[in-house]
Amino acid sequence: MTKPVHAVGPVRTAGRPQPLIDGVEKVTGRALYTADLPSAHALTGEILRSPVAHGEIIRIDTARARALPGVRAVITGADCDVAYGVLPIAHNEFPLARGKVRYWGEAVAAVAADDARIAREALELIEVEYRSLPVYTTAAAARAEGAVPLHADKPDNIEREVSHVFGDVDGGFAAADLVRERNFHYAEVAHAQMEPDCTLAEYDPERGRLTLHSVTQVPFYVHLTVAQCLKMDPAAVRVVKPFVGGGFGHRTETLPFEVIAALLARAAGATVKVELSREQTFVVHRARPETDIRLKVGMKRSGEITAVDAEVVQRGGAYAGYGIVTILYAGALIHALYRTTAVKYRGFRVYANTPPCGPMRGHGSVDMRHAFETMIDTMAGELGLDSFAARRANLITPPYRTINDLQVNSYGLPECLDWVEQASGWKRRKDKLPPGHGMGVACSHYVSGAAKPVHWTGEPHATVNLRLDFDGSITLLTGAADIGQGSSTLLAQVAAEALGIGLERFRVIAADSALTPKDNGSYSSRVSFMVGNAALAAGKELRSHLRNAAARRLEVNAGDIECLGETYRVAGSDRGISYREAVREALAQDGPITVKGTYTVPEELQGGKFRGAGVGPSPGFSYAAQVVEVAVDEDTGEMRVENVWVAHDCGFAINPLAVEGQVHGAVWMGMGQATGEQTQFFQENGLPVRANFLDYRVPTIVESPPIHVKIVESHDPNGPFGAKEASEAALAGFLPAFTSAVADATGIRVAELPLTSDLLLEAIHARRRSERLKRSRGGK
Amino acid sequence: MKRILSLLLNGRRREDAVADDMLLIDYLRELTGLTGTKRGCDGGECGACTVLLDGEPVLACLTLAVRCEARRVETIESLGESGRMNRLQQAFHEKLGTQCGYCTQGMIMAGEALLRRNPNPSETEIREALSGNLCRCTGYVKIIESVQAAAGKAP
Amino acid sequence: MQVLTDFVLRHPASIAEAAELLAGPGARALAGGTDLIANMRHGLERPKMLVDLSAIAEMGALRWAGAGVTIGANVTIACLARDTRIIGELPAVAQAARSIAGPGHRSAATVGGNLCLDTRCVYYNQSEAWRRSNGYCLKRMGDVCHVAPQGKHCHAAYSGDLAPALLSLDAEVEIAMPRSTRRAPLAELYRDDGARHLNLERGEFVTAVHLPAPLPGTRMAYRKSRARGAIDFPLAGVAVALAASAGRIEFLRVALTGTNTRPLLVDGTREFSGQMIGGALLEKLGKLVQNQVSPMRTTVTASNYRRQVASALAQRLVKELGLAT
Repeated sequence: MTKPVHAVGPVRTAGRPQPLIDGVEKVTGRALYTADLPSAHALTGEILRSPVAHGEIIRIDTARARALPGVRAVITGADCDVAYGVLPIAHNEFPLARGKVRYWGEAVAAVAADDARIAREALELIEVEYRSLPVYTTAAAARAEGAVPLHADKPDNIEREVSHVFGDVDGGFAAADLVRERNFHYAEVAHAQMEPDCTLAEYDPERGRLTLHSVTQVPFYVHLTVAQCLKMDPAAVRVVKPFVGGGFGHRTETLPFEVIAALLARAAGATVKVELSREQTFVVHRARPETDIRLKVGMKRSGEITAVDAEVVQRGGAYAGYGIVTILYAGALIHALYRTTAVKYRGFRVYANTPPCGPMRGHGSVDMRHAFETMIDTMAGELGLDSFAARRANLITPPYRTINDLQVNSYGLPECLDWVEQASGWKRRKDKLPPGHGMGVACSHYVSGAAKPVHWTGEPHATVNLRLDFDGSITLLTGAADIGQGSSTLLAQVAAEALGIGLERFRVIAADSALTPKDNGSYSSRVSFMVGNAALAAGKELRSHLRNAAARRLEVNAGDIECLGETYRVAGSDRGISYREAVREALAQDGPITVKGTYTVPEELQGGKFRGAGVGPSPGFSYAAQVVEVAVDEDTGEMRVENVWVAHDCGFAINPLAVEGQVHGAVWMGMGQATGEQTQFFQENGLPVRANFLDYRVPTIVESPPIHVKIVESHDPNGPFGAKEASEAALAGFLPAFTSAVADATGIRVAELPLTSDLLLEAIHARRRSERLKRSRGGK
Repeated sequence: MKRILSLLLNGRRREDAVADDMLLIDYLRELTGLTGTKRGCDGGECGACTVLLDGEPVLACLTLAVRCEARRVETIESLGESGRMNRLQQAFHEKLGTQCGYCTQGMIMAGEALLRRNPNPSETEIREALSGNLCRCTGYVKIIESVQAAAGKAP
Repeated sequence: MQVLTDFVLRHPASIAEAAELLAGPGARALAGGTDLIANMRHGLERPKMLVDLSAIAEMGALRWAGAGVTIGANVTIACLARDTRIIGELPAVAQAARSIAGPGHRSAATVGGNLCLDTRCVYYNQSEAWRRSNGYCLKRMGDVCHVAPQGKHCHAAYSGDLAPALLSLDAEVEIAMPRSTRRAPLAELYRDDGARHLNLERGEFVTAVHLPAPLPGTRMAYRKSRARGAIDFPLAGVAVALAASAGRIEFLRVALTGTNTRPLLVDGTREFSGQMIGGALLEKLGKLVQNQVSPMRTTVTASNYRRQVASALAQRLVKELGLAT
């Protein structure tokens, strides 16, 4: 009945460069993003926004707008009294302001109308009366004595104060040979993902059902929040994520326009499309806050860090969002990159009249990493140590538990350092660069998903379904949102690897709450590790079904069957059946098969028990080191990044092509923050000055440097095939490596980012003045 | 005021009643259903809507549709033959010149204009040709590699 | 979908016809549209009629007469940047053209449009909702200049790249008026008022630029400072035309953009004739530039930087061109 098989080995997909499984759609223009979905039938939703950054709403009159022909619905804060947010203890945002507005551009009312012209005309007809309140656009102003509280429950405008002490900090400083303290200032930056925000909301009044297509990274959270805000049974809601044009954290929580679209659709009993302008997308914000850091470090002559004392103030904007998480990350991720024995951390998350901040690539870790690495470099310089040597004096040996209970099980940082040192020619070139040129090095790290999800349910962290039917094709169902990072491709690779078959048998359906299992979403780099592990478990589960089927057919024990991908064979023999035959046999017994794989972060990786311990723990930490080379024009202050060498420890590169792309993107996004990107608000009225792509200066291709990537594989014991995250860790290191390179070239360190040409030129002129002064004194 | 716009869109003659104040991007996306052309900014800042007008790259968000009268407009949907990707599309796919894909069509159209004029561009020429197109995912490294790879292939 | 205000688009075939249409109320000339349409999208302009100049064939030519050239206002920036004779004989003009915005702008934008580019300001180039929240401004619909609230002068900065290159080469512009044309030095096209920076009456528009043959031995260049390598308007743009022999200046002209409400031909460079190019001359030149620019808080980049970088670029270009062999 069975023919002898000449089996080839299983097809290898993990570890091979794999173009995106949805790449063809993207390059041909066939990929449909939210704004591209057929919507000729849809009403246009437009949002009326607050012209003041802080004020009480005295009166809203929508009568004239409602009376305008072609207007189908008008809603205000009165139409939704459910506050939402991220952490359950900090739900304080409404989709449409109620009673008070707290930042310029906050949504106050919304209209659904037959077309955009009518909708915009209707907005003009809505009368809103405000009583202005003082506007605070800095943390200092919001914290000043007598400042009006933005939120009644936080009279001092401090959303969260964190105070953590680990180890003997005083003792650590006492043991140091050198103690230094510095202040740093970081401008707020934005995700600036290329796709503006958009939601298509479809309400079916007959069935009372709502379908949302939206630009989200977290369809599950959107689903839950929209159901809550509309007081609907979550079962009557469906959220679908179409192609998404980038996220970087912008879309990691439910956003006001998503709820507004849903409210409008229900109010109009229709389909409503809400498409935001670029300016409005900037005002949605949710990105990296303006941050002030005071950092004190103790160091021994060897470079060993003995103590750290850090204070961080973040201007978090008007609402809570992820604020508590961000201020906790800034402290938690001081640890786990180097050995830390004594760390004191104080953090203040402050409310202000600016758009709400949130998570952005490298969430919470980036500004602190710049300060920390800068301290290492300057102190090493004072001690006569090489920058590499100072870092090597603080390396971790895994397994290692940090003093704040983070568990490091794999650690490729030493290899990363070795590679960038060698590839950049550091030893050979560093001190022989021509004038105006400089090199700098820095390290950075990040989590592979938060061990404690922000929305805690007790369920597994991730679930993947594999569906196998008569045609032998496998459909992978995941709630994970592919936002361009290639998660759908990666998950298919993992499942395919487990089964040993090629990707051509796979389809991925992702992020549709009617079809796919719930997933917490694509943020904090959780997908490769957590959902990857779930996909691996599902693949193994399906393989076991097929082995059992093959065993039945070949009349042996399942344990005797080896899976060679396209062949299931009795081990050590030439008796076997093909994959298709195994599928037929399996289905003959069970019918079409759906298997499930899940992943739960092991208890010992979930961190400590202290207040705030939930933020920081991760099942795997990724590591990166980079060397940046710059050229500085001392006449104009212009800086050119000439080269970046970066090594990233991602544990194991499931898709090396995507890992390279992610590392490029992370390093480059760090460059944007270091060299020019910043939001800015007028102090007097909170107006955003740079809410466009001319003044929010995302680097162009012209000044973007070559980025040389080395993938380091430390094989994490818990990652899928040893993999960890690949898209965030390399961001933070760019900033300090860059400023150190500029310092190497000019002797100047500016304690402020972005380091723009005007700041540097000012510093160069100051240096020249003092040099002249010195010369003239010396000449006397 | 509306008038009949007659143009050659992706190689096919088309006639539509179009208002004078309609932008080419809206004409493409809403009237013809060619949504491959993306809107990324509030006017001329990002390059995501780059299309070819008589073979030259232009920004559809700053172009009045009726000014395309009797002209040749090409969008991402026109590249390739019989559903197969052209050399640039293939290179962007294989080399990961696209991540989220939102800037991709603009990049490819700008690259297409370049390669038609200059089949063997230097890296500097590639950078210059794509300098009006912002990408937030790739750091541009693999975009440059993609255009180089496409240029290396026979058209 | 975008909403532009309702307007009628006209396509005159001749200069005379265009001038007549433009003499009507609410009419506005449309060239490449890369500036005007962007501004219309922000509600900065609400014309009732757009007069599309692109069909006027006589404005589309580049005509050489000896070593001088007449550049039709409709010639696109891309054509200008690619023209081999311009590149070879008037490199500053080609450099300026190549530095404008991005390729997608340059293939639509025109010489006339770039010369007539609207002035820019952080308080002006914002959305309608933004400007309304800010009480509008002197340049449009308001009565306060937020840059200098005490004064009654609009400080919006002129940022066209071509103008300084052309100014440094003694360009003249041809201006059509209803039923006639006039020719004027390019400098006279501009006024020192950000709210109304063009000396054009209703119905008037630029049809061509005339560049005389450069004086023998002229070397020229245009360089701009900007935050990024592309797209951006100049923080400061500097054009230099000079002749020098054996390190000594014969003549020198320096023109600037991005720093004032109009492009500026630096006054007083005549004094440098006969002087050696060296530290002393460069220092004097730097001071001269610094004294004549008046950058205000119209951009997100500090105005003092724009002053300094204008001066640094002028010094650099003079050194590079003057000492080139």
